[in-house]
Amino acid sequence: MKPKVAFFEFTSCEGCQLTVLDTLQRHPELLEVIEIVQFREAMTERSDDYQIAFIEGSCTRPSDEEKIREIRTQAQIVIAVGACAHLGGINAIRNRMPLDDVREYVYGDKKDWFETYPARPLSAVIKVDAVIPGCPIDRDEFAMAVTHLLQGRMPAIPDYPLCIECKLTENVCMFLRGQTCLGPITRAGCDAICPSCGQGCEGCRGLVPSPNLGSIKEALRERGMTEEQIDARLSLFLTYQTMQMDGVTPA
Amino acid sequence: MKILPKHSLKAWVERLRATHRVVAPRETYGQYIFEEIENADDLVLDYHTSVLPPKKYLLPPREDLFAFNAKTMEMSPLIEEIQPTVIMALHTCDLHAITLLDKIQGTGHTDQHYQARRRKTTLVSIECLKPCMDHAFCKSMGTLAVPEGFDVHLTDLGDRYAVDIGSEQGEQLIEGLSLFWEPVEADYDRVNQVMAGKWPNFDYRLDCDVTDLPDLLAASQDSALWDEVGDTCLACGQCTKVCPTCYCFDVLDEIDLKLEHGKRIRVWDSCLIEKFAVVAGGHNFRSSQARRLRHRFLRKGKYQFESYGLLGCVGCGRCALSCPAHITPIGLLNTLAERRRPATEEASSRS
Repeated sequence: MKPKVAFFEFTSCEGCQLTVLDTLQRHPELLEVIEIVQFREAMTERSDDYQIAFIEGSCTRPSDEEKIREIRTQAQIVIAVGACAHLGGINAIRNRMPLDDVREYVYGDKKDWFETYPARPLSAVIKVDAVIPGCPIDRDEFAMAVTHLLQGRMPAIPDYPLCIECKLTENVCMFLRGQTCLGPITRAGCDAICPSCGQGCEGCRGLVPSPNLGSIKEALRERGMTEEQIDARLSLFLTYQTMQMDGVTPA
Repeated sequence: MKILPKHSLKAWVERLRATHRVVAPRETYGQYIFEEIENADDLVLDYHTSVLPPKKYLLPPREDLFAFNAKTMEMSPLIEEIQPTVIMALHTCDLHAITLLDKIQGTGHTDQHYQARRRKTTLVSIECLKPCMDHAFCKSMGTLAVPEGFDVHLTDLGDRYAVDIGSEQGEQLIEGLSLFWEPVEADYDRVNQVMAGKWPNFDYRLDCDVTDLPDLLAASQDSALWDEVGDTCLACGQCTKVCPTCYCFDVLDEIDLKLEHGKRIRVWDSCLIEKFAVVAGGHNFRSSQARRLRHRFLRKGKYQFESYGLLGCVGCGRCALSCPAHITPIGLLNTLAERRRPATEEASSRS
C-alpha cells in the first residue's frame, strides 16, 4: 500500500513546494510509490487522512502552533522542508531586532492588527523526524528522502561541510578568489551550486553539527569584512541557529 | 634516455591520443585541473599545482562497486574497464603519492577497482625545476626526484625534453616513433647542469630531517599544539580532498524509487569530519577537532611509514594552499620540532 502524503505550508514563499512539483515532473514514478492526499499548490482534492507530512515554512505567530500540532498528531512522520521550516529561514532575521520596531516597519500604524512573534523552525514547536534543507530544497534530495522513507528509514542528509562537495567539483575556492563564503560551516548536499556559479555560500542548508564560528569569523575578517557585515552574513539563514548557540531562544 | 624536441611534443600527444585517453593539467580560472585533453594545443606542462591530484583517475571521488536487485536479490560487480589512459605532466610529488597508493591498494586485500584503472594507466611525469607554488615542500619530503617505477619522465632542457623511460608500459608510448632522437654528449651535459641547478630553488622546508618525522610525531602526541591548531581548524575537510595520498572512503547504497534496482557506491571520506570515527552506539573515537587533526598528521607522518615504509605526505602543499584557516604542515611540524628542542636539550643537560 502506498503511504499517504500531505504537504503544508506556513510562513514561506512556497518555493520548496514548487520544487517538489518540479521533482514530480522529473520523477513521475514518485506518484507510483506515494499517494498525495493534500497539496494545496498542486491539487484541489484534500484529505486529512495521511501518514507522512511535509511541512514548508516557519512558525511566525502563536496561532500557527495549534495547526502545526494538529499535523503532528495526525502524521506518523513529519518532515521539515526547506530553510524556513528547518531553520526559521530568512523570516528569523527579525529575531535580532525589537519585535515592536519590526511590526511598525512592516505595518505602520496598523501594526496592532496583525499577530506575530519571533520566527522559529518547526522543531521549536513540535518534534520533527527529519529535515530536507535548503532554500529551496534540492530536487534529487527530495526524491532520495522519499526513497529512504519507503525503505522504512529516516532521510539521511550530509553531515559534512559544503567545502567537501565544492572541492570535488574543482571550483576555484571563494577564499582564494579573495571573496567570502560560509561553505566551511554549512551543511553540504546542494553540490555547491552557489560557489559553482561564482557566489559564496550563504548557509541556507544550516550549520554543520559542530561549526567553528570563531574561525570562520576570523577568515571573513581577513577578507576585509567588518563585524557588522559578518553578523549580517551569518543572519540571512543562520539567525535562529547562531542565537541558539549563544543560548538565546525566543519566547 | 631519448630526446624529444619541444616542437614535436604536440605531434607526440596527437599520436598518443589515437590510442589513449590523454589527461593533462588544464588552466581554468587561474588554477589547473587534470582533464582529458581534446586537442594537443591544450597541453600545459608548466603549471603550478592542480586542485585535485591526479589520483582521481585511479580512485574516483565517487565509484560504483556493484549493482543489486533488491527484489531478486541478485548482484553483479561493477568494475569499470577504462580505456588506456596516459596522465601527462605529473609532478614528482604526485608520482610518489601514486607509488604509495599502489602499495596500499596492492597489499593485503588488493582493491580490484583501483587495479583495473591502474593497469590501463601510464604516467608521464615532469622534472620540477622550481617550486610550483609557495607551499610546496617536496624537497624536504624527498619527493623532488622521480621515484622508482616511473613510466616516462621528462626533463625540460630549454628547446627539448630529456625523456627517460622507466618501464615497459612507458616504452610503449614512444616505441617506433621517429619524433624521439638519440641524445648526444651535449644533451647529457645539459641534463646534469639543469639537475644540479634546480635544488637551490627550493627553500621552503621542514626544519627537521624527514627521517626524524615519525619520531617527532611520536614524541609530540601530547603536545598542546594540537589543541591550539584544533581551535582554528574549520573541519571543512578540504585538506583531505586535495591530498594525493588520502584514500579513505565511505560506502553508500543507492536505490531507485521502486526499491528494485540499486548500486553500492563508495565516496571519498575525510578523517577531519566529526562523524568519521563514530561507531555503532554513537561513540566517537576522536571526539575533538584537535584529535582528528592529530590523527591526520600522525597517519601521514608515522602510521603509514610504519605500515608501508613510505611517508603519507609527499609535500605537495595542496592542503596548505586550500586551508581557509591557514593551517600548514610546515608551520605545524616546524612548531612541533621547535617545541621539542628545548625539552631535549634540557634532558641531555640533566644526564
